[in-house]
Amino acid sequence: LVNCFPKPYNRKAFWICSMLILSLMFFFPLRQELLKWNGWGYNDSKFIFNKKGQAEFTGKRYRLGGMVLPTFKEWIEKTFGASLEHKTTSRASLNVNDVPPSIVNEEFLQDLRATKISYSQDAEDRVFRAHGHCLHEIFVLREGMFKRIPDIVVWPVCHEDVVKIVELACKHNLCIIPFGGGTSVSSALECPEEEKRTIVSLDTSQMNRILWIDEKNLTACVEAGIVGQDLEKQLAESGFCTGHEPDSMEFSSLGGWVATRASGMKKNIYGNIEDLVIHIKMVTPRGIVEKNCQVPRMSTGPDIHHFIMGSEGTLGVVTEVTIKIRPVPEYQKYGSVVFPNFERGVACLREVAKILRALFASICLFLLFAKGHALKPQVASIFTSFLDGLKKFYITKFKGFDPNILCVATLLFEGDREKVLQHEKQVYDIATKFGGLAAGEDNGQRGYMLTFVIAYLRDLGLDYYVIGESFETSVPWDRVLDLCRNVKERIVRECKEKGVQFAPLSTCRVTQTYDAGACVYFYFAFNYRGISDPIHVYEQIERAAREEILANGGSLSHHHGVGKLRKRWMKESISDVGLGMLRSVKEYVDPNNIFGNKNLL
Amino acid sequence: MAPPMARCPRLPPPNRTRQPGRGGAGPWAPREAAAGSRAARRGRAGERGAGRRSGARRTMATEAAAAPGRARRGAPMYSQKELTSKKRDEFEDILEERRLSSDLRYAMKCYTPVIYKGLSPCKPNAIKSAVLQSEQVQYVIKQLAKEMGESPDIIQEEATEILDEMGHRMQLGAVRFFAFTLSKIFKQLFQRVCVNEEGMQRLQHAIQEHPVVLLPSHRSYVDFLMLSYLLYTYDLALPVIAAGIDFLGMKIVGELLRRAGAFFMRRSFGGNRLYWAVFAEYVKTMLRSGYAPIEFFLEGTRSRTAKTLTPKFGLLSIVMEPFFKREVFDTYLVPISISYERILEESLYAYELLGVPKPKESTSGLLKARRILSDNFGTIHIYVGQPVSLRTLASGRINRCPYNLVPRHLPQKPSEDIQEFVSDVAYKMELLQIENMVLSPWVLVAAVLLQNLPAMEFELLIEKTLWLKGLTQTFGGFIEWPDNLCAKKAVLSGLTLHSNIASLVDGHVVLNDKGMEDGAVGEMVFRHALAVLMCATYRNQLLNVFVRPALVAIALQMAPSFRKEEVYSCFNFLRDVFSDEFIFFPGISLKDFEEGCFLLTKCDAIQTSQQEIYPTDKGSGTVSFLSAMFRPFVEGYQLIFRYLSKEMKEAFTEKQFIPGVRNFVFQLLEKGSTQCYEALSSDMQKNALSALVQLGAVKKKKMPSGFTYNVNQEAVSKILDMFDDSADAIPEHNEFLFPEYEILIEPEEPEFPADSTDDEQGAEDTSKGAKEQEELGAAGTADEAFQSLDEETLEAMAKHETEEEKIFQMFKKQVAAEPEQIIRYCRGGEEGPLWVSGENRPEEKDIPNCVCGAKRIFEFQIMPQLLNHLQVDSLGESIDWGTLVVYTCADSCGGGSEYLEEFIWKQDYSMGCTL
Repeated sequence: LVNCFPKPYNRKAFWICSMLILSLMFFFPLRQELLKWNGWGYNDSKFIFNKKGQAEFTGKRYRLGGMVLPTFKEWIEKTFGASLEHKTTSRASLNVNDVPPSIVNEEFLQDLRATKISYSQDAEDRVFRAHGHCLHEIFVLREGMFKRIPDIVVWPVCHEDVVKIVELACKHNLCIIPFGGGTSVSSALECPEEEKRTIVSLDTSQMNRILWIDEKNLTACVEAGIVGQDLEKQLAESGFCTGHEPDSMEFSSLGGWVATRASGMKKNIYGNIEDLVIHIKMVTPRGIVEKNCQVPRMSTGPDIHHFIMGSEGTLGVVTEVTIKIRPVPEYQKYGSVVFPNFERGVACLREVAKILRALFASICLFLLFAKGHALKPQVASIFTSFLDGLKKFYITKFKGFDPNILCVATLLFEGDREKVLQHEKQVYDIATKFGGLAAGEDNGQRGYMLTFVIAYLRDLGLDYYVIGESFETSVPWDRVLDLCRNVKERIVRECKEKGVQFAPLSTCRVTQTYDAGACVYFYFAFNYRGISDPIHVYEQIERAAREEILANGGSLSHHHGVGKLRKRWMKESISDVGLGMLRSVKEYVDPNNIFGNKNLL
Repeated sequence: MAPPMARCPRLPPPNRTRQPGRGGAGPWAPREAAAGSRAARRGRAGERGAGRRSGARRTMATEAAAAPGRARRGAPMYSQKELTSKKRDEFEDILEERRLSSDLRYAMKCYTPVIYKGLSPCKPNAIKSAVLQSEQVQYVIKQLAKEMGESPDIIQEEATEILDEMGHRMQLGAVRFFAFTLSKIFKQLFQRVCVNEEGMQRLQHAIQEHPVVLLPSHRSYVDFLMLSYLLYTYDLALPVIAAGIDFLGMKIVGELLRRAGAFFMRRSFGGNRLYWAVFAEYVKTMLRSGYAPIEFFLEGTRSRTAKTLTPKFGLLSIVMEPFFKREVFDTYLVPISISYERILEESLYAYELLGVPKPKESTSGLLKARRILSDNFGTIHIYVGQPVSLRTLASGRINRCPYNLVPRHLPQKPSEDIQEFVSDVAYKMELLQIENMVLSPWVLVAAVLLQNLPAMEFELLIEKTLWLKGLTQTFGGFIEWPDNLCAKKAVLSGLTLHSNIASLVDGHVVLNDKGMEDGAVGEMVFRHALAVLMCATYRNQLLNVFVRPALVAIALQMAPSFRKEEVYSCFNFLRDVFSDEFIFFPGISLKDFEEGCFLLTKCDAIQTSQQEIYPTDKGSGTVSFLSAMFRPFVEGYQLIFRYLSKEMKEAFTEKQFIPGVRNFVFQLLEKGSTQCYEALSSDMQKNALSALVQLGAVKKKKMPSGFTYNVNQEAVSKILDMFDDSADAIPEHNEFLFPEYEILIEPEEPEFPADSTDDEQGAEDTSKGAKEQEELGAAGTADEAFQSLDEETLEAMAKHETEEEKIFQMFKKQVAAEPEQIIRYCRGGEEGPLWVSGENRPEEKDIPNCVCGAKRIFEFQIMPQLLNHLQVDSLGESIDWGTLVVYTCADSCGGGSEYLEEFIWKQDYSMGCTL
């Protein structure tokens, strides 16, 4: 059965291909048009201030959708010194005349047409694929234009298409930049300005099918262009899930996860991408790289998957991935615990990570009043009263308790009901030892909802002279507190030195726990009124913050990747020899630098 | 070398009270200044209070601040940020208020100190248990238990004991007790205790922001509680103070100190790992938690000579570690300069330096010392410096890798670059202390007086003192001239305060060294040495301000020529030799040299050109004053080195060395063959020894009984040679250039009066113009030479082919008459060259014609004596010749400035000739 499988699959693929080519005009722009051209996420979902001057989240896609957030305006004004009267004006749409012209060799176009692979030289299509979601990229979209963007966008629909495109690129000496979900936050998608060759943006979004599901081995073979939420939706139809849920899962693609070594928030149960992947097929200028079997583990020298995972598009295009799947969990429960301060919270997380290890899906700790409070929706009045009660309770219980440093851990349990309840109790018991207090299920769920919505906040900020960004690191347990304190302090200090007029928001959360350490996210935003070159200032501060992270024993990146943004620290991070090893792989696999996005090395 | 002027931070501000040119060189300029300041004082009559002085004094302070160098010194580590903020603060007398209000009320005042923002308050005992439970200490305990096979409990017990011995028990009660008694004592002893209030304000901010380390200078026991007293007065968190364990020997006092915040460290605990771990963790715990500012003395012990001692690094590296490991965001280091107009222990120190042992700290000793309460010890100045952020210092300097790859609680030997960094910071801090150390007028008086022993005319002393004041300010010294007093009063008040050292007799100032009028010679020497050393204690306060320009001045005198490289090489040598005596920032010899040159240029003592440094006529006074100021050190070191090179053949310990060298010097003093009393100082002796160790001339070995030393005789004599005949030493660093000389032109025969033009001319023979001028004189010379030859010689000349010996004899005779002669010039002279030997003389055909066709005739010959001057006289190794004879075109063709090919004949003493 296995042997004859490829044939019908191919025929089927061909049929689908033809269908797609026919309906090109209607299909392709669809997804692109759903999304903002100069901001995060869906066009219809965003924070606005309504006529009453109250903040509101539009659209119906999220639980927060349509809700009014009464305290938000006050919070943003108080935290950043921003005012609703001072509004920046972003361009409503792309000015096609600003866009650098598309320069494509006619011979290549002829060859490309012969392959029947659809392509576009349209300005909007090209600009859409010229960037990720770094602050400076969004800023450029709003106020300027990139110096270099892809010259042509191609949409392969299957592995064979990719092979053809890579062959053509080798033949005509072109530069290929693979494009998946476009959610990069490491400048990985930016085109190198000095690139003289034609840049082909290889959009994998049409390679989005689940090729097969193997229930016996609990694996599924999926084309790499599939977007996270589609993957989960389609697997769920068969009663499965992957359990990989990065914050960007609505938009990011499987291939992108592989290329950046992604991490999902439920990794405690399901594992990170490197634990989930069974088999990878990648097209490189040298040919196709893959393994001969689909086994849980093999001892055949260094795992070639680890050359691919985290290669950030410098070696080739991942086309198909076999991934582990799990039955959809029977029971899911949210929870939350409030701690009197961040120190206690971290100590508790460490203990939970030690004792319970992989028994709960996710635990995530953040400072409550930095963000959560501001997003408190009106409708959740039960919660509001609960919180007020909680505060009173704390004040009476803890002497000298300060509600402003209160912090909350959100929890997610998955599995069979009995186990979930048992683990939940265990976690709460441990939390109690550290002065934590269970704060309800609703609160926990709200926390997880927020992780998806947070990214929309930046676009609102940008309208009111507030720029911000998040960045992450991983750090050993014993250094978590020192690192958080020092990085936050460094940010505040750098802002002062760089002439930022208003006190910045600088906060952090612990999002992942491991045996040996944790993943820490920093959120940093400031009001840039009065600064002539805010992006430059911002970048300097972010760089200083990263220096501080490294000095405190943190890593260059936990899961965002290096891209071009963090390249300068690569040598320090992996030593000269390590860098040389990576370089020699690149030199062998791609001697002519066809995959010339200049990431990583 | 970049011209130092280019980096001068800014120009001195317009000077209102002084006449222009006051900083000018001559000792006599300051008269006007004195008049000026007097006028300024009159103008402000009635203005009272120590703090709100303005006018002249402020100008003085700013002018001093504008002096260059101090800010530049740290250049290898620091940005230019510091250059701008060099204005010194005003002082405020804190005793004034004490004299007006009740001490008891002061001691019982409501004390709510400013504390570190992140502090969670805890008791001293909580700290102790935190230290015992810490991973760091527990780790070492487990290690030791494993190694020694003992139960961890026993070692834990030991650690507890160590901690109990060490730990402080700060109590407000004890603090109040001290606040009360110290007020009483200070008021009795001192006229004023002056503090810069702005410094206190800066400190207040620093304490709130980050953990603070207070680094005061250490001149007296008074330093110990002075800062606590000060911080109590200003309502700041009281420091915990690192004290030597010897204080615990004092019965009640030790315990009282403990309650006032002192913690006690053993003098040496290098080998004891448990002690080290407990101690380090104790200090770090207090630092990390921001429990209290930590105070310790970089110098490690009281400086007996009032000169800043070279820093100790142990405690400093402990307090820096939490930052390296990023356990704190930053740490502030606060240099504090405490200077005494009269040091409480001055005579004790002098005795100690002369080998009379220091009394052990004891309570009864303290009680006996009560009698000094009736004495007057003048003013104390405390200058709290700008807090220095360790983070700023470290930015870009520390490789973070070592700390990231090892768990932070494991004891880790600091890497080399960390050690270097710690040392740099230590020196930086000491230099900052020195920079802000207040100098009283008496310090100037002492410096002048010591150069004019046994007695000095009072008026002259005043004049000189005033002149020195100007010089000190040019060099950036921080002089506090009380109330712009006129010079005479200032000197007089200094003499009154220090009546035990010097006194005014019949209009002359003399040292008080006459203890017993007709004692034995030895007794006289001892008495005098005592007086000199006490006086030197005050002069010494100037030295670190003066050392850079002074060493340049000495190097100028030592160097064989004024060429920059040679002066620098002498400077470098001196800097190395005195590296333990004075404070130099490590590794920036060239910068120090440039700064020294810059300061000397600024006071018009020297002039510099691209290649040369030479003293000016105006500045000769300054240069000789500076070298006289440091002469005791130069001579003292020579004596000590001589002792080592002559007397110490075998290995010796420091305990043997000190008395040995003391006796050696003592005998020389008794004989009167040296006047260098300061060489008796054990401080200088130790420094000299350790300088030799650093220069590699003495080997230091660790023995079970302690350190022993072995002298490398040869190396020591080489260093001595550098001092002794540095006048014709070749700079070691320059292998390519010969030393420079001036060539004097004289006729060969002394009985003929020299031509006047020749006398003045010192032209080198290389320049064409000079050559032309010489020809006149040269013709005469040839004539004279001819007439001088007697018949015998002529005869010998005629028979030269056969009588080889005679020719050489004649050469010898000629040379003996003019032993310095290097060139004999006689163009076309009939006599021709003076040959060394009969062999290998050129015949006419051997000398080719000039390119223009004319004959070549003899012009001059180069004598072999030149080889001596060039110091290329080692046989068989360097170039050699008997004589070099140069023949040139008879027509003097080619009048242009281009080079022409001429003919040279080389004759050796015996062997064949070469072209």
